[in-house]
Amino acid sequence: MSRPVLSRRTALRGVGTSLALPLLDCMAPLRTVAAAEGATAPKRVAFLYVPNGKHMQDWTPATTGADFPLSCILEPLADLRGKFSIHTGLAHDKAKANGDGPGDHARALATFLTGKQARKTAGADIRVGVSVDQLAAAHLGRRTRFSSLEIGTEGGGQSGSCDSGYSCVYSANIAWRSETQSVPKESNPRLIFDRLFAGGRPGESAEARARREKHELSILDFVQDEAKSLERRVGGADRRKLDEYFSAVRELERRMEETGRSGSDASHGFAQPAGIPESYQDHLRLLGDLLVLAFQTDSTRVSTFVFANEGSNRSYAFMGVPEGHHDLSHHGNDPAKQDKIRRINYFHVEQLAYLLRRLDAVREGEGTLLDNSMVLYGSGIGDGNRHNHNDLPILLAGGGGGTVKQGLHVEHPQDTPLTNLYLGMLDAIGCHVDRLGDSTGRIGVA
Amino acid sequence: MTGAAAGSLRSPVPHGLPPMARSLTRVMALVVLVAVARCTAVSAAAPDYARDVRPVLERYCFECHTGDDANGGAVLDTRRPEEANAADRTVWLKVLRQVQGGVMPPADADQPTADERALIDRWIREAALKPDCSRGERPGRVTLRRLNRAEYDNTIRDLLGIDIHAAAEFPSDDVGYGFDSIGDVLSMPPVLFERALQAAERVSQAAISTGDVETAPVRTGKGGVLASQGEIGEAFPFPGSGEYVVRVLAWGDQAGDEPVKMVLRIDGADVETFEVRATERKPRDYEVKHRVEGGEHRVAVAFLNDYYNPDAPDPRRRDRNLHVGAITVVGPIGVLPDPLPEAHRLFFSRPVDPAADRETQGTQAREVLLPVVSRAYRRPATAGELDRLLGVYETARDQGESIQRAMQVALTAVLVSPSFLYRVEKDPPAGEVRDLDDFELASRLSYFLWSSMPDRELLAAALRHELHTPEQLVAQSQRMLADPKARALVDNFAGQWLQLRSLESFAPDRKRFPEFDDDLRRSMRRETEEFFARIVRQDRSIVEFLDADWSILDERLARHYGIDGVSGTEFRQVAVDRGARGGLLGQASILAVTSNPTRTSPVKRGKWILENLFAAPPPPPPPNVPELQDTGAQLTGTLRQRMEQHRVDPGCAGCHKLMDPLGFGLENYDAIGHWRTEDGGAPIDAGGEMPDGSRFNGPAELRAILLLRQDEFRRCLAEKLLTYALGRGLEWYDACAVERIASATAAGGDRFSVLVAEIVTSPAFRQREAPESR
Repeated sequence: MSRPVLSRRTALRGVGTSLALPLLDCMAPLRTVAAAEGATAPKRVAFLYVPNGKHMQDWTPATTGADFPLSCILEPLADLRGKFSIHTGLAHDKAKANGDGPGDHARALATFLTGKQARKTAGADIRVGVSVDQLAAAHLGRRTRFSSLEIGTEGGGQSGSCDSGYSCVYSANIAWRSETQSVPKESNPRLIFDRLFAGGRPGESAEARARREKHELSILDFVQDEAKSLERRVGGADRRKLDEYFSAVRELERRMEETGRSGSDASHGFAQPAGIPESYQDHLRLLGDLLVLAFQTDSTRVSTFVFANEGSNRSYAFMGVPEGHHDLSHHGNDPAKQDKIRRINYFHVEQLAYLLRRLDAVREGEGTLLDNSMVLYGSGIGDGNRHNHNDLPILLAGGGGGTVKQGLHVEHPQDTPLTNLYLGMLDAIGCHVDRLGDSTGRIGVA
Repeated sequence: MTGAAAGSLRSPVPHGLPPMARSLTRVMALVVLVAVARCTAVSAAAPDYARDVRPVLERYCFECHTGDDANGGAVLDTRRPEEANAADRTVWLKVLRQVQGGVMPPADADQPTADERALIDRWIREAALKPDCSRGERPGRVTLRRLNRAEYDNTIRDLLGIDIHAAAEFPSDDVGYGFDSIGDVLSMPPVLFERALQAAERVSQAAISTGDVETAPVRTGKGGVLASQGEIGEAFPFPGSGEYVVRVLAWGDQAGDEPVKMVLRIDGADVETFEVRATERKPRDYEVKHRVEGGEHRVAVAFLNDYYNPDAPDPRRRDRNLHVGAITVVGPIGVLPDPLPEAHRLFFSRPVDPAADRETQGTQAREVLLPVVSRAYRRPATAGELDRLLGVYETARDQGESIQRAMQVALTAVLVSPSFLYRVEKDPPAGEVRDLDDFELASRLSYFLWSSMPDRELLAAALRHELHTPEQLVAQSQRMLADPKARALVDNFAGQWLQLRSLESFAPDRKRFPEFDDDLRRSMRRETEEFFARIVRQDRSIVEFLDADWSILDERLARHYGIDGVSGTEFRQVAVDRGARGGLLGQASILAVTSNPTRTSPVKRGKWILENLFAAPPPPPPPNVPELQDTGAQLTGTLRQRMEQHRVDPGCAGCHKLMDPLGFGLENYDAIGHWRTEDGGAPIDAGGEMPDGSRFNGPAELRAILLLRQDEFRRCLAEKLLTYALGRGLEWYDACAVERIASATAAGGDRFSVLVAEIVTSPAFRQREAPESR
């Protein structure tokens, strides 16, 4: 019997990707935040990171201004032309050695959102700076259950030295709550989903949940008393570790009180994704779906998403590039290798395009979720073959609530701090910060 | 310090091979300095401060770096290097970095010559940063350590007998100094605390049975979509006869004139029919309570009323489908399982009497909690802690919870309290050093050797105040090494020291290496793990890591190595050719984790050897190295030739001169550790020249050269194991401890247990300093 496609969801589930997550019906948004908050939809901001730079010859558009021709790496974005801009000439001076010797990969990620020189250490006295996403989270996050969402396809470094004397903290983390504390990213879609939509406990009944949360509040009181009594007995760096503990407890407490007021954080009926998909592309897309869902349901307004840890030597055998990404990025001008690095770059931009399209498919008020968001995509290394930190590949997408003008190739004077652009983005969400890292001014995005 | 001198006297130099120490080139001398700066001195006389160094500083630095207004706050002229203290060291380190990096003096000032820079460099390393070991060993200070994921799971297992690996859902632990057990690096982000709370609840429910539906065992099956007739379901285990709740999360695409209908069946028999009016916007649970006999039964739902009308006016009401989110079976309900969990009996061996008055119940609950909390905190719980915990218990009771449920809540509280999640050590008063107490030592021992909490014997010894003597520490560590729990050293120490954990993500090109699969990956890892385990278990010489005539193989790996006569999947000791497979450097696991997916990487292999066998980080780059410029010129030729072109750049040469020859010496092994004599038709050239001019050809000769450096290896392993044992990076003053531990290990026949004994009796392991005031 010939039958029509059952539904969008079923269709997508059937195409062989392991999307266990039912995609949203774009025609009928589930819970428009705009409705909840009156006329204006909230602004969201996301920072996406790809390692090992880009093959810049194939990234940088040939002309500036509007109507620039898409370079070959940017082709997957053809249908989104008016929704993003390319910014060239931006730099991260603090990712350079500046006397600290090798370690460009670790510094590239540590500096990317902080604009600060990471202190070179394998462990003691870790220090870089507060990252722009966390500043945004402090500003936007009070009204959502999660102040920010940190995701990526990989966890922390597994062992050994990650990059020339830098702790793996630097090469694996993009978000920094404070100068000394990074925020780890999560990679398992199932766990991210459960945390966002089921209070971490799928299948729990409302009554059981209410009872549990009452007990938890009493437990949180108890552990804060315990921590206070410990605090009196320890000093130095131990004190700082206990501060982290306090702040984690308080954040959970705040969320529980918040949920108590707003009712439940039910899963909106989405089925739980199964876990980490085998395919890298499916993994990236599923994480992208979760980001979209988190924004759409207003669970958070700020997110970072690391496609792979800096210096990643992942093989792209599934697309005919079996070499390691990092290995290839040092291509020594071998045309065959350059072709392969271009294909990896292209693949990543395809995944970016997927995410942007998903955001753009969600209606919010008069526009789309993408129109209400700013999505920055880029790397802290310019050309992977050189490990340089100037002329970085940077793309900014989304309307930022209707204020951001897109569709441009903006050429900034060489070595303009990338942090200047961040200040402009923060301005656009109403978060006014004088300086960030090495910023020397602000690049208005509105 | 006399390390290098003593070392080279002690290590026999075979005839026919060039002696290393004497003929070092200048480059190599610098490298050795960097490499083992903490452990050794160089034989040549150190530069004298007043005669050699001060004049150079005076000429280039003092103009800006003197007095109250010294630039950057770095006052250099009044420092008395012969009395270097911690604050001075920080300044000298900074100077070193600035001078190395060519940052200072600034470009517009007079520049020192290369020799003058080298002089400063050398003096700072050899004199200003050198510890004075004659004053005894400083113990240092470990930052409050959170249990990492492995430690958390093991501790829960040993505390409650529950092995559910709840920490698998924690974010991965960050790594510092090569290990994921470093206090400074292990942090507590909000998401981790949240997950720890969830884990604590799961553990408490597994530990204490209540019989409530909320805490009855839950098994969840898959969901799916039913577009026409059909069933979704699967077989579920029902652990015993009794009442179960079967819950179906469902919603429908509504169409036609009736709601979606769904029937729940157990073993094919209809149990209940539901009208599923819920839609995607708001799915809901449909549940039924049903008595089921113990055993396995198929639980399924079927879609009863398919409907499809392409002509219906409302396009959204043309197709009726049933969506099932999941089928969940909860139960049995209202019965305590038999047998009860071991931990349950732990809590209720002395029951709390529900009929007693409130005060009596409180006293009884306190008695139940005291031993549990004391073990969880790895020291006797204080009265105040028990009072506060009892408060949590009683609050739950006041809210109408059963004794069991309230006890679960209290246990949850214990498992997220900082005294459980962190290993707390009291600080001494400012400026002082204190001996750790017996309980703190028990934890240091157990987390070092077992990655877990102290067992009853350790805690009992601590309670008797017997643990702190060197004899007891050594005796206990020997006992612990013989315990199966010492396998944690393999998983957590060896797995990270040797980077075996990275093997999991190694993805060699299937086309080039069709024989590689997950079985081979597992066998590779297992070989090295078993190799390490055997050295520990049989208390063998640690020099065997460099050179052995045996390994532990199964058939798969033996075939991979071209060794006959090994059949089956069992790992067993096999004699190997020392030249080809002797020691770690002949093992496929290590050869693979240091390769790229399509080819070997001599650079990574060389770096691996320097970092993990000789604790020698690459030297700093020479001053004023510009960023690599892309000249557009293509590197051509063989891998070796391309590497050599690369090395023409002075910015690269410093490191690559050291790493590359070591790596090229291993070129007879391909990227998955297979032996080869040619690559792409060209014969393998596994020859190399060390910076000192000594030449070798192939792995066997390289190994012979490395064996000459076994003093360095011993220090390296001592550094790694001490770092792991303490949970902190080593400081400059730890050079004294490392040197002593390495020497004593050599004197003790290089047995692994001697190395461990020297570590657990060292001041760094047994004492704690106050925080430095800065």
